[in-house]
Amino acid sequence: MRARRLALSILFAVAIFAQAPADLKFPPLAPVRIPRIERFTLANGLRVFLLENHELPLVNGLALVRTGNLFDPPAKVGLATLTGMVMRTGGTRARTGDQLDEDLENIAAEVESDIAESSGEVKFSALSDNTDAVLSVFHDVLTEPEFRQERIDLAKSQLRDQIARRNDDPEAIAAREFAGLVYGKGTPYGCQIEYSTLARIQREDLVAFYKRYFFPANIMLAVYGDFSAPAMKARIEKLFGGWDYRQASVPQFPAVEDVPHPGVYLATKEDVNQTVFAVGQLGGVLRDPNAPALEIMADVLGGGFSSRLFKLVRTSLGYAYGIGAGWDAAYDHPGLFAISGSTKSATTTETLEVVRQEVERIRTSEVTAEELETAKQSSLNSFVFHFDSPHKTLSRVLRYQYYGYPEDFVFEYQKALAAVTPADVLSVAKKYLHSDAFTTVAIGNPKAFGQPLGALGAKVQPLDLTIPPPAEGGQSAR
Amino acid sequence: MHTPRCTILVLLGALSLRAQNLPEFEKRVTEFTLANGLHFIALERHDAPVVSFHTYVNAGSADDPSARTGLAHMFEHMAFKGTEAIGSKNYAEEEKALQAVELAYDRLDAELAKGSAASPERLRALEDQVRLAAAKAESYAAVNAYPRIIEENGGADLNAETGEDATEYFYSLPSNRIELWFLLESQRFRAPVLREFYKERDVVREERRMRVESNPEGKLSEMLLATAFAAHPYRQPTAGWASDIEHLRVADARAFFAKYYAPANIAIGIAGDLNPAEVRRLAEKYFAPLPARPLPPALPAAEPRQEGEKRVAVETPSQPFVGIAWKRPDQQDRDDPVFDVVATILDSGRTGLLYRELVRDRRIALSASATATFPGGKYPNLFLIWVAPSSGHTNEENERAVYGIVERLREKEVDPQTLARVKIKLRASVLHQLDNNPGMADQLAFFYVNYGDWKKLFTGLGDIDKVTAADVLRVARQYFVESGRTVAFTVAPKGGAQ
Repeated sequence: MRARRLALSILFAVAIFAQAPADLKFPPLAPVRIPRIERFTLANGLRVFLLENHELPLVNGLALVRTGNLFDPPAKVGLATLTGMVMRTGGTRARTGDQLDEDLENIAAEVESDIAESSGEVKFSALSDNTDAVLSVFHDVLTEPEFRQERIDLAKSQLRDQIARRNDDPEAIAAREFAGLVYGKGTPYGCQIEYSTLARIQREDLVAFYKRYFFPANIMLAVYGDFSAPAMKARIEKLFGGWDYRQASVPQFPAVEDVPHPGVYLATKEDVNQTVFAVGQLGGVLRDPNAPALEIMADVLGGGFSSRLFKLVRTSLGYAYGIGAGWDAAYDHPGLFAISGSTKSATTTETLEVVRQEVERIRTSEVTAEELETAKQSSLNSFVFHFDSPHKTLSRVLRYQYYGYPEDFVFEYQKALAAVTPADVLSVAKKYLHSDAFTTVAIGNPKAFGQPLGALGAKVQPLDLTIPPPAEGGQSAR
Repeated sequence: MHTPRCTILVLLGALSLRAQNLPEFEKRVTEFTLANGLHFIALERHDAPVVSFHTYVNAGSADDPSARTGLAHMFEHMAFKGTEAIGSKNYAEEEKALQAVELAYDRLDAELAKGSAASPERLRALEDQVRLAAAKAESYAAVNAYPRIIEENGGADLNAETGEDATEYFYSLPSNRIELWFLLESQRFRAPVLREFYKERDVVREERRMRVESNPEGKLSEMLLATAFAAHPYRQPTAGWASDIEHLRVADARAFFAKYYAPANIAIGIAGDLNPAEVRRLAEKYFAPLPARPLPPALPAAEPRQEGEKRVAVETPSQPFVGIAWKRPDQQDRDDPVFDVVATILDSGRTGLLYRELVRDRRIALSASATATFPGGKYPNLFLIWVAPSSGHTNEENERAVYGIVERLREKEVDPQTLARVKIKLRASVLHQLDNNPGMADQLAFFYVNYGDWKKLFTGLGDIDKVTAADVLRVARQYFVESGRTVAFTVAPKGGAQ
């Protein structure tokens, strides 16, 4: 009996064995349903987007504000970040930050604010039964934050702690130093918060920054979840209709100054046995017609399990756990092109040499038809994941509006990607990758390197990670 | 302004409505076990033509044999290397070449085992043989063919994770390609080919350098576990000790697979745009041929009662961290939900006691967190508090402050409003997990394996609801005691050679 069963299994197994993935026939994919987004603009200029979804009794919202730390005055880097933190924690005219904490958490709701590089946001989330309660707090945080001094002090103290800890994580150091060198450390895209810039920021700076950017015509408000759109519309009109506050329109974000800092830069860190590296240059802008070919180029080079760098450096050499390449195309300014990863100290220089060779290969010869097909199929077949939740559609619509992209951009991009040829990939690699001017950043312990970094052929310049101390007699005391 | 009490009542109303909807949710769930013991739980969500898969293997690094730590994790990496049919240019030749690699390693290991008596010349020659044999085997390999098929078919979020309790494999596909997952997953867990093993061993070693050896928190957490547990394998790092990783062999990985990857030791969660009848048909077609095997025996090791505080210092030039942990029972214990409540009282949003006292009021910490169950829940484990002191403040200062907070939990009952808030937050957190396929596939499999029923995801909330202030007091008094405590902390390097 037992033997029979075993034999049966083997038969089955053989049957399966004979079946290859390529033999499978797939039915056509069901069409995606693009949800309808209700849009309207209030008389004060606030643009509103509503998307009903009743799967769960939850409601979420987001106010997207055209601002960012790109607008920080050079002497007060950290102003936008601090403003974003204290808008919520500093409380509103009616309630202190502590009261907000209690009132919101008592109903398992959240309201949070944040200002990043090129956008600011105030978000909320709650059970739909508590929609009115959370909207009221959300409204107050957005329109009348109080910026209480004690919470400014707390936030500054937290940012100082983050400065003190910024040299503890090698990956974070590599990312920061690479961006600093490629964009320029003195520019809005490459600078960082220091004790001295933080110390100069006062409450009136936060209030002024807030007043400059947080006005209805500069904000898009999106609400998503379990509500009826007409009722939500009425609520929003009632809450925000009277917010009559105007400011001059917000200027463009500063441009990236393309001043490359080519060369090999080494930050010595003796408490690690692995080198973290980043190699590359400025990336591009998403609306560049060559962006799809560049995405494929980076994908073939280092985009996934099937990429050249992954197969070579990780699978065949065993030199790295993490290795990858990305052509980061931002919406409105050049992103970064980086090949990044980590390897044990002894194989640092060899790994960087392999990276150099692979960059040369992609700049001098066409990718194979098979590689191109893998990259294209991956992208085209996973396209549906852009639409796998209604929420993604809403946030895409919002992002496109924010950066002035056409609403069908995702489809146009996909069409362009499908048309890319091996010749296109070679041509963009030649045109865009300036490997002679690459910036290489390595964080590691050179005493343990198998070969010195100088073997790569460029002068190795030391990177000083010393954190500038707070100014004498400055305002850093809490 | 609303009164908290009123909103709590409204809220409980909303959530109990949800609980009444469990039957509604249940209608969308199909659950079945194949004759070989493999269990499936499938949830229909037809909002978009995508589907997510989560394979939950009930074996993790706690099951690593001694001196072979890191093996569960190593096998996880090997599960992406393909099969006889996928990943080979010529399997008949490749198989012979792979056997030759093993023989070459056997000879090298035998020479190495002589220790100082080993001949350096012979070692060099044997290392050359190993390299040659590996190169020959690799010449037959179609590198990364298995993951490439998934990527080309639009696979999203392809990855795997190894923990102390379990090893999990997951990705999502467009829903018209559902059969592809059945084919690929069944083949890799029927007869995986462990090709490129020794290169992958280097990759795994590299992963340890990244997560542990070059990461101060990783080091501290590893030493905390190695100190807290004397006998139980929770003392073993999931990444494995460096020298153990460097000695892992194909035979170890085969033995681990044979022992722990029995179909009855695996549960599979699937969520998305699926047809339950089709799922059943494909499960039978592809997974029924996996032979039934006995369940692995339960781990014999029981941690002896801790009799006194344990402390461990880790030298690092980085900024300070301190971890404070108390022994607690496993997740089947009736006090399991009480620990969840206590962790949420201590750490949640900006109302948690740790945040309020250490971060907001005294500003002695940048962050402070509490974890109810660490590093796993299947066996008696730890309740963990982890603190990053702020500049100019020390681990000692924070440690004392933590004991002050814990002492208050041991002195008097927590107030009703705090308890109510914590329960509501725990309930809402479940709701927030329900709106995505990968998360649901994961949760359904996790709750089935760990609690015997996926419905525990919802009914567990009832257990949380029953927790009283007296329970919190009792548990704090029973478990937050010095003799059951382990403290791991960083110190500045004192210099000198080791």
